[in-house]
Amino acid sequence: MMDGRIETRDVAAVPVGLIETPVFSRLDQISTAKQWGNWAGYISPLVLDTMEFEYFAIRNQSTLLDVSPMHKYRVTGPDAETMLNRMVTRDLRKVAPGRVAYAMWCDEEGMVIDDGTLFRFAENDFRLCCQESMHGWLLDAAWGFDVEVIDESHSVAGLSLQGPTSFSVLQAAGLGAAGSLKPFDLVKLEPDLWVSRTGFTGDLGYELWVPWDRLTKLWDRLWAQRAPWGMRAIGTHALDMVRIEAGFVAAKVDFQPVLTASRLGRGRTPIELGFERLVHFDKGHFNGRRALLKQRDTGPRYNLVRLDIGGFKPAQDALIYHRKRREVGHVTSGIWSPTAKRNIALAELRAPFGGEKTDDLWAEVYVNEEGRWDKRLVPVTVQTKPFFRNDRARATPPRAF
Amino acid sequence: MNARFDVIVIGAGHNGLAAAEALAKRGKSVCVVEQSDAVGGMACDRLAHLLYNPAPSGVETREIDTVSLSPEGAHVLIRRGEARFTSGKPHPDAAAYQTLYRRLVRYAGLLHQLAEAPPPGLEQGVTSLAGLRELSRLAKLGVGVKRLGKAEMREFLRILLTNAYDLLLDEMPDGPLPGALAADAVRGAFSGPRSPGTVLSLMYRLRHGGGVFLPAGGMGAVAGAYAEGARRAGAEVRCGLGVTRVIVEGDKVAGVLLSDGGRLDASAVLSSVGPMQTMRMAGIAEFDIEAVRRARKLRAKGSTAKLNLRLGGVPEFTGLSAAQVKARLLVAPSVAGVERSFNPAKYGDLPKQPVLEMVLTDGTGPSTLSVIAGHVPETSWTTDRRESFTASVVETIERFAPGFGSLVEEADLLTPEDISAMTGAPGGHWHHAEMGLDQMLTTRPTVGMARYRFGVAGLYLCGASAHPGGDVTGAPGRNSAAQVLADGVA
Ligand SMILES: Cc1cc2nc3c(=O)[nH]c(=O)nc-3n(C[C@H](O)[C@H](O)[C@H](O)COP(=O)(O)OP(=O)(O)OC[C@H]3O[C@@H](n4cnc5c(N)ncnc54)[C@H](O)[C@@H]3O)c2cc1C
Repeated sequence: MMDGRIETRDVAAVPVGLIETPVFSRLDQISTAKQWGNWAGYISPLVLDTMEFEYFAIRNQSTLLDVSPMHKYRVTGPDAETMLNRMVTRDLRKVAPGRVAYAMWCDEEGMVIDDGTLFRFAENDFRLCCQESMHGWLLDAAWGFDVEVIDESHSVAGLSLQGPTSFSVLQAAGLGAAGSLKPFDLVKLEPDLWVSRTGFTGDLGYELWVPWDRLTKLWDRLWAQRAPWGMRAIGTHALDMVRIEAGFVAAKVDFQPVLTASRLGRGRTPIELGFERLVHFDKGHFNGRRALLKQRDTGPRYNLVRLDIGGFKPAQDALIYHRKRREVGHVTSGIWSPTAKRNIALAELRAPFGGEKTDDLWAEVYVNEEGRWDKRLVPVTVQTKPFFRNDRARATPPRAF
Repeated sequence: MNARFDVIVIGAGHNGLAAAEALAKRGKSVCVVEQSDAVGGMACDRLAHLLYNPAPSGVETREIDTVSLSPEGAHVLIRRGEARFTSGKPHPDAAAYQTLYRRLVRYAGLLHQLAEAPPPGLEQGVTSLAGLRELSRLAKLGVGVKRLGKAEMREFLRILLTNAYDLLLDEMPDGPLPGALAADAVRGAFSGPRSPGTVLSLMYRLRHGGGVFLPAGGMGAVAGAYAEGARRAGAEVRCGLGVTRVIVEGDKVAGVLLSDGGRLDASAVLSSVGPMQTMRMAGIAEFDIEAVRRARKLRAKGSTAKLNLRLGGVPEFTGLSAAQVKARLLVAPSVAGVERSFNPAKYGDLPKQPVLEMVLTDGTGPSTLSVIAGHVPETSWTTDRRESFTASVVETIERFAPGFGSLVEEADLLTPEDISAMTGAPGGHWHHAEMGLDQMLTTRPTVGMARYRFGVAGLYLCGASAHPGGDVTGAPGRNSAAQVLADGVA
């Protein structure tokens, strides 16, 4: 056409719909459930077979999950430590090269933007893995510092190998050198292959990181060793169960990442999420420090707590009452834990509940008895320890199972 | 041992000096550190020339008329609300002009109390004494607005956020008369009369009653009086020494490092440079990411140039008496013309018909015509460009004063680039930060900085970028000092 108009079909096509990760064809073959979800724009399995099988494989055997959709950012340069230390609440000077650190970062009001893991490859070389897209924020945070921020979300892929037999699988796949890794250690085992002893399960487990185009090979290499160790591929539903057992919080579920929340007052501070131990006030300035200092003095507005809930009915979304009358909060994540054999939950309570006040708390759960709804108030107790703890998670070298 | 002061002020611009005087008067030991060899900053003979507000004590001022030049020779003589032709004939729009002008001055008076103190804010809530005081100030503005009467109140609120173009041309036909107000609304700003917020900036300029004053001895004398005031109150003023770093320890200001390698200790530092420059001096890592982003994105695009023309004789303007030549002379032939002069600036080009404010100054000798030209580009001033711009200004004047060009013996052009290099003002901007609706009052210079403090305890802004903005008023400096005293940091 010569009239200067542009035809839509002539414009370079933008992919429509979800994108496949390199191992999608493998997953599609295995999947009997065909339950797929959207993880940061990628097709990701919610369940491949059944959630129960997958859950028990995490706790008793080992499991493989494609974590490539995670957002990954490389931060390098002479000021990398200073720049990241100004961004996150914990003191990264104490995180040595070859270590991984769980970290939170806040806006200027001390409200959590996201949480994630920081991998320190070398003195001036970090990678941040997180759930939310963080490129713009990192560029803002990097302004004025001698660093380079590269979005590696689509160039670095990863597999999460978790469960008691995970080390045995690694060994069988020729990666036995990972045996010396302590929790949160990070090592380059082969050119282009970094292995960290990290995960979201609270159990023994590893994450393996490779260039995007090498993921299939890595998958096949581990998958070949699955039989004797009972390894299964899993989806994210089973993972969600174990992370609640381990007491990990999930963005958009247990807290609202403040940059994505449009309503006022939806943000929460690390202190309110129960992570005051990761707020290192003595390290110098970091984003939100002044606001968080104030809150340390005045106290949190909310407390995110672990609850042991009476009865068997998972209490997802249940309202929490004090003395059965006053509404003081709600459950953010709740499941029946097959391992703990308890009805467990994470819940947000309005302070002082969950802090100084923990007695006489009740959860309101609805039970549908074949078409008839019943409302029950069940007692809840605040727990300080994670619901799942096993010393095999920390033993180094890992024990063979 | 380093020398120790309660307060250090970075920059002996008139605002830094005003802050120093206010603090020293309250018994604080104050040291003003100025990088250049002279006090005054932009308030110097080569740059600023007129006052729109009372001068500091010790400076005589003379109120002068404004003459808005007409290409057809129908020049308008204006003093406050009165307008007539320079020939003495009545102006057909004099009544409409007077009504509008008086209304603007009345409204501007309401803003005056807001300008003379830190901007209102209810950050402390109303449960504290300070919070209640804030509320009462806001209430006073509310009462002031109410007192106008219902119709006037509606009018005030209607025009407050509109643009000068619509406001002026709703009341009268276009020409040099409304052109003068349009030029006053945008002088120093990167905006045209059609830009939103220009009614507010016009009222800001009229908030002292709308008079235009020529200081005896020039702006240098005004700066000298500010310095004298500071010294008399007990402040020390050191010139020829720049601050290179603000020392921060434990999230508190501890002092400054000087360009000669020395160090001064203090528990409060007031900075008359822009927020970003101040952040750099203290270290970007000391500030929150959002605060740095806002400082980065601050609009401060300098758009005003200064041309000092040394003349070999007194110029004659067609149709003006010898006395009228000594008025403030404006080349702003119409509101539309002022808007058109802004258009090329958007693309970094020179105005084709520059809008000028000229005055034969007393300060630099009677034979100097001090010319302020608006809507020029901030950067890329090549020699060619400088010369062609100077020529176009002289040519413009020549149109009203035949033979003017041959009187010019020397032309001293200061572009925004030059002004920035001379004073450190961000972008060489008249107000250090654009006076846009989004950068005024409680959001001046940006969100979270309206209380003069930002981030690090003891660090304050005290220059034109802070509320209420630029011009030679001393208000930002005094307000900042008041905030320092209220915070009790020094
Ligand atoms: C061309 C032009 C004409 C103007 N004409 C008028 C007018 O006629 N009437 C009017 O009311 N207003 C006028 N203005 C505006 C007015 O001059 C300014 O708004 C006002 O002077 C700003 O004062 P200030 O003290 O805030 O800052 P400045 O005057 O900019 O002072 C800042 C000072 O800080 C010093 N400094 C900077 N960095 C450092 C450092 N690191 N260490 C030590 N010292 C440092 C600078 O040298 C400078 O002296 C004009 C502006 C321009 C650009």
